[in-house]
Amino acid sequence: MRRHPEGEAVDALVIGTGAGGAPLMARLAGAGLSVVALEAGRRWDPAADFATDEAAQEPLFWTDERLSAGGDPVAFGRNNSGIGVGGSTLHYTAYTPRAQPDDLRLRSETGVGEDWPLRFEELEPYYEEVEHVLGVSGPDPYPWGPPRRRGYPLPPLPPNGAARLMERGAAALGLRTAPAANAAPSRPWAGRPACTNRGFCQAGCSTGAKGSADVTWIPRALAAGAELRERCCATRIETGRDGRVAGVAYVDADGAERFQRCAALFLCAGAVETPRLLLENGVALASGQVGRHFMAHTGMQVWARFDELVRPYKGIPGGLISEDTHRPAGADFAGGYLLQSIGVMPVTYASQLARGRGLWGEALRAHMRGYNHVAGINILGECLPHAGNFLELSDERDGRGRRKPRVHFTAGENEHRLTAHAEALMRAIWDAAGARDPWSFQRFAHTIGTARMGTDPARAVVDRDGRAFDVPNLWISDNATFPSALAVNPALTIMALSLRTADRFLETARRGDA
Amino acid sequence: MTGIADGRNPRDARVSGEPPAPHWPAGTVAALLAGDAVTAPTRAALRARLAPAPPGPRHLGPAAFAVLAAACARLVPQDGRAVPVDVAGAFDRRLGTGAGDGWRYDALPPDAQAHARGLRGLDETARALRGAGFLETDDAGRDAVLAAVQAGDPPGAAWEGLPAALWFEELLAALVEIDYAHPSAQDEIGYAGFADRPGWTAIGLGEREDREPRPLGDGA
Repeated sequence: MRRHPEGEAVDALVIGTGAGGAPLMARLAGAGLSVVALEAGRRWDPAADFATDEAAQEPLFWTDERLSAGGDPVAFGRNNSGIGVGGSTLHYTAYTPRAQPDDLRLRSETGVGEDWPLRFEELEPYYEEVEHVLGVSGPDPYPWGPPRRRGYPLPPLPPNGAARLMERGAAALGLRTAPAANAAPSRPWAGRPACTNRGFCQAGCSTGAKGSADVTWIPRALAAGAELRERCCATRIETGRDGRVAGVAYVDADGAERFQRCAALFLCAGAVETPRLLLENGVALASGQVGRHFMAHTGMQVWARFDELVRPYKGIPGGLISEDTHRPAGADFAGGYLLQSIGVMPVTYASQLARGRGLWGEALRAHMRGYNHVAGINILGECLPHAGNFLELSDERDGRGRRKPRVHFTAGENEHRLTAHAEALMRAIWDAAGARDPWSFQRFAHTIGTARMGTDPARAVVDRDGRAFDVPNLWISDNATFPSALAVNPALTIMALSLRTADRFLETARRGDA
Repeated sequence: MTGIADGRNPRDARVSGEPPAPHWPAGTVAALLAGDAVTAPTRAALRARLAPAPPGPRHLGPAAFAVLAAACARLVPQDGRAVPVDVAGAFDRRLGTGAGDGWRYDALPPDAQAHARGLRGLDETARALRGAGFLETDDAGRDAVLAAVQAGDPPGAAWEGLPAALWFEELLAALVEIDYAHPSAQDEIGYAGFADRPGWTAIGLGEREDREPRPLGDGA
């Protein structure tokens, strides 16, 4: 790996190597720029390091404590926050649906929420590129959204028990389903093996099949000359009198403080750590929007026992999808949701059972003996931006001596109505499939929107390209920039925007405007 | 609050009309760990949980630890297991490391304080409800105390400023996670997911590979 001498400024300094940082690292290095990336976590060797054991995989999750407040306090850690080279893609389920055009026009179409300052047509070529690099396996043609110029590069992965059960129940109700698009190749792809159906995507893929950033964008970036500094945690963003970023101070793997000068900074640390760094350093705060409008997808799950043996630990966890509920007819809420069949591992299931149903003692044990008969469905649904949902810095210090983020989140009326609609439908699907003892688990997924993009510097932190309005050489590329949550999982869109941000940056550099 | 629960009934072992949960053959996990269907890192992780605990002082004081152990016997019972899981010991060790899972409810104090106070609270609630401390109360009494704390707003000064229902949820989730990470619990539920080295091909509904256990009473 190329190493850049300490005293020299690099063209591009990247903080965070997940879905937001890794694609642009590859693009910028590929264009010949000098690129250094700081990653708070370490680089893993999946075959040697990753156990097929939930508890052993805890090092993949961001475990510096966050404080969760509000009426619906969001769980962090394993729920939504990764660390390591690859970031949260190390633990994402590889579920990679595209947004639909109306996802970007929620306000225009419904009067609530926010529009994106982008058109779908501007994202589409990037979706194609990301799907090709990741090796997304999915149905062709895809039943929902606008017709596509290119289908998925690989055919769908085989369905597991939960997928078959949801398919059965949905068919009885006349709801269309299809194999879901998953970033796990159904055949060997780009030097990676085919998915082995170990179903452990959410705690690290040990085979290298899953399209996480560490086996896709990062090797490309390194081959093109990027430098990766692992176990380096950014602490200070320094700006000069000209209001531009001069460089970033960070603590290295030995605990020493170092400083890297840069011509441009790409902040890709996710919707908790990105605003946290900006707030700590007083950077890009003029809009008052940093940390504001925190969103999390409505993600209720309905679990049930079936007479058949499901053995829910096998197969790609999100095997089946329906987007018939993207904009449900007659809905009393704005936006919509997708439905996803889900497998689950025992520790995660037992923990949710304890929290969600309050079972303990012999009652819990008896229920858990039925684990091999369990299947789930979840939704991934819209969450509107609310002024009262935000991230701030608390006065408690974490293990690194930094102020712990406190996130206030309370679901609003739209989220409640959407969830009620979805819960009724999920229970109906499960009932039609033969479910026994269905139970609902309310949860919220992903961290979104805390450095949002827009056209107005008074209402947004970055512009349509991800460039900060008040700091011309600061670019943000992660889930923080989303002005609306979308009714789909964010990873594909984050990666597509990352490539687009890199291309727009290169364009400004060519114009002498960087 | 979290979790929309479908009726919290901790003492109901099954919903009426539902078939009883299956039992699984003992020793499946041990056999798989001894074979070649498990990768080296997975084997190391699971065997570490079977090894004797590392020596060292307890984090919790003796009185608090005794209450914790008694609570664990009700919350995550180990009866009938060939190798019981020392959930209380593992929880105490974790408290000692200060390691967290990346978040806590803002309404709760930091973990170490919350658990010290909550365990004291179990004792105070027992005195208020049953006229004796948690350790002096019988199993039915302990269950009643735990249920009262789970329901929220139990009697006892320790609960002032410590939301009881939230604390209970946090404690229970942590204990359950320790329990089901252990080979004994995984054996009990017929879990074979850790034996993934050959990959899985029989992944469809009702499909099974030779190394996966069948429930007892399911035929040869």
